[in-house]
Amino acid sequence: MKILELKNLTKDFGGLRAVDNLNLSIDDGQILGLIGPNGAGKSTAFNCIAGVYPPSEGDIYFNGEKINNEKPWNLCKKGLARTFQIVKPFSSKSVLYNVMVGSFANKDKRADAEKKSLEILKYLHLEDKKDIRAGNLTIADRKRLEIARALATEPRLLLLDEVMAGLRPTEVDEMVEIIKNLRESGITVFVIEHIMRAIMALSDWIVVIHFGQKIAEGIPETVAADENVIKAYLGEEYGVS
Amino acid sequence: MGEQMTRQNLQISSLLLVGIITFGLPLVLRSPTYLHILILLYLYAYLTSSWNLVGGFAGVLPLGHAAFVGIGAYSSTILYLQYGISPWLGMIVGGILAAIVGIIIGLPTFKMRGAYFALATIAFGEGIRVMVENIDYLGPFNLNGPRGLQIPPRNVGLTNLMFTTKEPYYYIILIMLVAVLALTYFISRSKLGYYLNAGGEEPEAAMSLGVNVARCKLIAMAMSSFLTALAGTFYAQFTLFIHPKSIISLDLSFEIAFIALIGGRGSIAGPVLGALLLRPVSDFSRIYFGATLPGLHLIIFGTVLVLVMIYQPRGLQEPLTRVYHKLLYRLIPEPAGTE
Repeated sequence: MKILELKNLTKDFGGLRAVDNLNLSIDDGQILGLIGPNGAGKSTAFNCIAGVYPPSEGDIYFNGEKINNEKPWNLCKKGLARTFQIVKPFSSKSVLYNVMVGSFANKDKRADAEKKSLEILKYLHLEDKKDIRAGNLTIADRKRLEIARALATEPRLLLLDEVMAGLRPTEVDEMVEIIKNLRESGITVFVIEHIMRAIMALSDWIVVIHFGQKIAEGIPETVAADENVIKAYLGEEYGVS
Repeated sequence: MGEQMTRQNLQISSLLLVGIITFGLPLVLRSPTYLHILILLYLYAYLTSSWNLVGGFAGVLPLGHAAFVGIGAYSSTILYLQYGISPWLGMIVGGILAAIVGIIIGLPTFKMRGAYFALATIAFGEGIRVMVENIDYLGPFNLNGPRGLQIPPRNVGLTNLMFTTKEPYYYIILIMLVAVLALTYFISRSKLGYYLNAGGEEPEAAMSLGVNVARCKLIAMAMSSFLTALAGTFYAQFTLFIHPKSIISLDLSFEIAFIALIGGRGSIAGPVLGALLLRPVSDFSRIYFGATLPGLHLIIFGTVLVLVMIYQPRGLQEPLTRVYHKLLYRLIPEPAGTE
């Protein structure tokens, strides 16, 4: 069962084609990694899927349903959640408050939303920080909070946009564990990431894009050995581990 | 647990005490002048609390709320003068009309951010004032242009929301204030309150979390303009004379925003605190300097606002809440151990 399918997805900004005829699909329960150089169009593709921009051409299917012009809040209710590359916490509010905003997607009562949020904070080891103002968190915790909020909406598909950028190696390892656990709990994960160590360890399938076009895809080992990928993105020195 | 309960009890009893004092005040304070000042203080606290639903929770800065006061005042007054309909009913009609206008204004303007939204609402408020000033008859309704409308003090009593003494007005506006405070308290703890705050602070993030930001803001705007219009009717019945310059004035819109910003927008106590601090300044500057330095209070407000924004950008409610909590914790110290 394909949970997400992009068919010839194209997005133009004026004369610039940010995403060019991108085709890809994700199976239910998979972790798919999307990599590529800066400016390759990864975040634009994410924004199209998440309903921020309507695609210029092509179609997006979520769960078999076409979602081309669907608004972000409706997509969220359908089970599609995302994080932002540049984190956007509700800075003046507490960590718990932030997560509760997400929980309210499926809960109407405050007590239920609070209970659900506390469970998620516990799951992500953030419960000690629940009363801290989100603006005062470290970058690692802010990234974690992004995930916590998205999880609170009870997604089936989670789009993670560079949740590991700026983290220390130990924090990256923790994040890899968290994402693997998410998959165990039945959530399909679509990751954009630059940290190759993490993406290789995580992904079942990797898609590489360059100037908006797909240049390679496959299991991590195949992609890492691909000549085009090495030239465009990884560099000659990158060795397959 | 037991300790927590007593702390909560203390809070509830201090709230009750404040309630008893405010409700009992007219029994002690017989001077109509002071009652008049207090009525206006409550009225401004009420107006600012209504404004706070949009200006505080939804994180935008509306500066045209005087127009809703005007809609409320004119609706009930015209209905009473021309058709003999009780101002209580007119109040509701005015409220509904204001809510509809609020939604119409909100639809295009909520797409704007920051100063652009504020400017658009100023333009809207001023537009309504200029229109009322220049229209004598709007269809069958007599607005009487710049001369305003006078309500003859006949058939005084509760049904006509008209009284010869200040006390009934005092209690009506006090009950309205308590009601609006209770409403904001419940909204701030509800899904809508969370959604409004989230949408005001980071709209993109809020949308991705399932919040229809524009719709939430429109709901808040409808409620806020409805409540604001009720105060317009009250004001009309209190002064028994309305004219566009006094009731749809930019000064009024600004004063509401000043009170909110200095007291602390987005908090429940902020508007009350702001009114408590600023209204006396406004009244006394009018009493003592009204002839020599009219508008002195706005200069003082401006200065205070600058200072507050520099040192307490979240308004004066924040340091005061901190002091209050410290006091509360000193009076009833942390429980030694859990049971």
